[in-house]
Amino acid sequence: MTGNRSLVSIVDDDESVRESLPDLLRQFGFAAEAFPSAEAFLASDVVSETGCLLLDIAMPGMSGPDLQQELTRHRQKIPIVFITGLGDTESVRPRLLARGAVECLVKPFSEAALLDAVRTALRRPHSGPVTAT
Amino acid sequence: MTGQPATSRGGWTGLQVSSNGAAANGVTTELISILDTIDVPIVVVRRDRTMAAFNQAAADALGLSLPDIGRTLRDISVLARVPRLEQYCAEVITGGVESRIDFRDGEAWFVVRISPYARGGDETAGTVLTFTDLTAFRAAIDEAIYERECTKAILNTVADPLVVVGADQRVQSGNRSFYTMFGVSPDPTEPTSVYELGNGALDSAPVRTQLQAAVATLRLENLREVLADTHAFQPVEVDQVVTAKGERTLIVDSRPLSFPGHSERRALVRFQDITARKQAEAAKDLRSEEELRRSEAFLAEGQRLSSTGSFSWKVATDEITWSEQLYRIYEVEIGVPVTLDAIRARVHPEDLTLLESMFEQAREGTNDLEWQYRLLMPDRSITYLHAVAHATRDQDGQLEYIAAVQDVTGRRMSEEALATARSKLTNVARVTSLGVLTASIAHEVNQPLSGIITNAGTCLRMLDANPPNLEGARETARRTIRDGMRASDVVTRLRALFSRDEYRLESLDLNEVTREVIALTLSDLQRNRVVLQSELAKDLPAITGDRVQLQQVILNLLRNASDAMVDVDERPRQLLVRTEREDVDRVRVSVRDAGVGVAPQNVDKLLDAFYTTKPDGMGIGLSISRSIIERHHGRLWAEGNDGPGATFSFSIPSGPASVPDAALR
Repeated sequence: MTGNRSLVSIVDDDESVRESLPDLLRQFGFAAEAFPSAEAFLASDVVSETGCLLLDIAMPGMSGPDLQQELTRHRQKIPIVFITGLGDTESVRPRLLARGAVECLVKPFSEAALLDAVRTALRRPHSGPVTAT
Repeated sequence: MTGQPATSRGGWTGLQVSSNGAAANGVTTELISILDTIDVPIVVVRRDRTMAAFNQAAADALGLSLPDIGRTLRDISVLARVPRLEQYCAEVITGGVESRIDFRDGEAWFVVRISPYARGGDETAGTVLTFTDLTAFRAAIDEAIYERECTKAILNTVADPLVVVGADQRVQSGNRSFYTMFGVSPDPTEPTSVYELGNGALDSAPVRTQLQAAVATLRLENLREVLADTHAFQPVEVDQVVTAKGERTLIVDSRPLSFPGHSERRALVRFQDITARKQAEAAKDLRSEEELRRSEAFLAEGQRLSSTGSFSWKVATDEITWSEQLYRIYEVEIGVPVTLDAIRARVHPEDLTLLESMFEQAREGTNDLEWQYRLLMPDRSITYLHAVAHATRDQDGQLEYIAAVQDVTGRRMSEEALATARSKLTNVARVTSLGVLTASIAHEVNQPLSGIITNAGTCLRMLDANPPNLEGARETARRTIRDGMRASDVVTRLRALFSRDEYRLESLDLNEVTREVIALTLSDLQRNRVVLQSELAKDLPAITGDRVQLQQVILNLLRNASDAMVDVDERPRQLLVRTEREDVDRVRVSVRDAGVGVAPQNVDKLLDAFYTTKPDGMGIGLSISRSIIERHHGRLWAEGNDGPGATFSFSIPSGPASVPDAALR
């Protein structure tokens, strides 16, 4: 599977998200796998296969943005779609997008918004340069 | 003196002895008797300078006696003392012209008149000496001279110049002070005119009027005029009089001066030097002017500092006077005449009715008035004024108001600002305390909602599949229901928070309540690099209370603890949450931080609304927390740690129904 980054990885500490999101994505034909924490994702063997990372922002331990920075440091240019239950994302959203995030979805989000973001992420050349400020 | 010739002590034998015998004896005796009655000593001296006769007065006054008859004058001691008497007698006999000699005998003064007399033919027979006694007269003159000298001496000691002027208004006689002051000397031949004195300063109409009135010949017809012209005798003040002492201010006071038997009118003029008094008065005026100026300056400054103006209003004439500060308050150019219309023009239209009613009351004479009104300034800004007026009566008894007007705009602004700030704070308090909670709760709600939507979508797709994935659909539907219940739970708790009616008293495990809050805040705490440690007692009795409210309190304590450690870098940002039994029937929750701590003197203030140690905080959370805990019959307190930081704790009674339902409303 190396080099074929079609996997959608989900990192969220909320169990209901971990249960529901992969099922939905699979219904659309994506391969999906969920992880309860950033640490668990980093420890897994799917990092290099992941073509889209659905990443919760606020999590115990390493947060979503922490993981984003960590991946950048390891030159893992995985397109990231942030998902957050925090209402007030206006302050963090521009920063996250500037760091290369594809989108920042606020829970609860619609299927259409999710699919748009995931497809955009998968189309993005994962090895391409990341705009940074 | 006796008038009886028989007892005459005069010496007439010398005459009887003379020629012509007794022919005229009867007449002679009668004449002698008459001569003896004359109270003037008479002595008859022959050509040969022998005494021929003397009368009784001569015997009495000069001590002559009969043996002196026939003696020459030089042999009669009293007559020998009359200077050059024999020589005078000889001259009188030769010349036939009467002569006089002053003669002093002891205390007595005489004028001796020497007259020739003839007997029979033309030949002068001798002389008759009559001795007029001038002693009393001389004494009177001496007395007058003495009196005059005394008066002169006294007048010369009088400091005020005094002068007697004649009808020609020229100086006749002055005291020493007069001559000294005006630098003139007595000159009887060419007397100085009063109007030349003091370099002509006295040559003025009032002085002339006064002097002329004083020396006017008093006749009945002009006496009336003079008396009617009362100011004629009024003292006149003359300044810039050039004197030996420099320029002086004098009061000139002329009085008529008349002597019995003298027709000439004179005036006594008295000069009073009031230069020193005038200077003192001027200095005093200057002082009081200065004092007045100063107190006016004080008043003006006081008015400026206190933003208080004042005005007076004469009701009858509508004459209004403003202080400078009031002009500034009304923003009217200082000095512009003030009218009621001008005031009306500046007063806020909404306050005009009020103003008119104040005018009305004032015209009715209401003693004290106090009102607040607004001005609408040219720049559309509003000035708030507070006026206090007091009725008085002016000198003519007319109604006049004296009023003070204070610009209270600043005070009103700050009052309004304070009210706004208060309502904002109240709002902020509500929003913040709820905001803290709802931010976390939103997260909690959005998670299940997200799950619901995702699961429902998945469910539909599984059912739409060919063949339908019924097992998967069932599973996702079950998850949908579960997440729905979870969301509903959160919503119920929110409603409990917003609506007291939906209040829920339940038996609670404070450990569980605490754990839920920790779960809610964990991410925040981690973001703030806070190391959370919890020590939850295992044997904790249940309490009765409101879950959401107690969670809000714990949440608040955790956030405060976290905030208190924001600047702590040199040690771990350690936070300890502990639950424990307190006594037998109470449960305590404490949150201990390692933050900036609390100074002992501020511990009590910590729980007051608005007190905060956080630079951007508002300290409202703690006061709300305290009221929640108190409603649970508990207490909340703070204390400094032995080490760094502070510990906030609350304890509430344990057991069922420890809180009556009503207490929580």
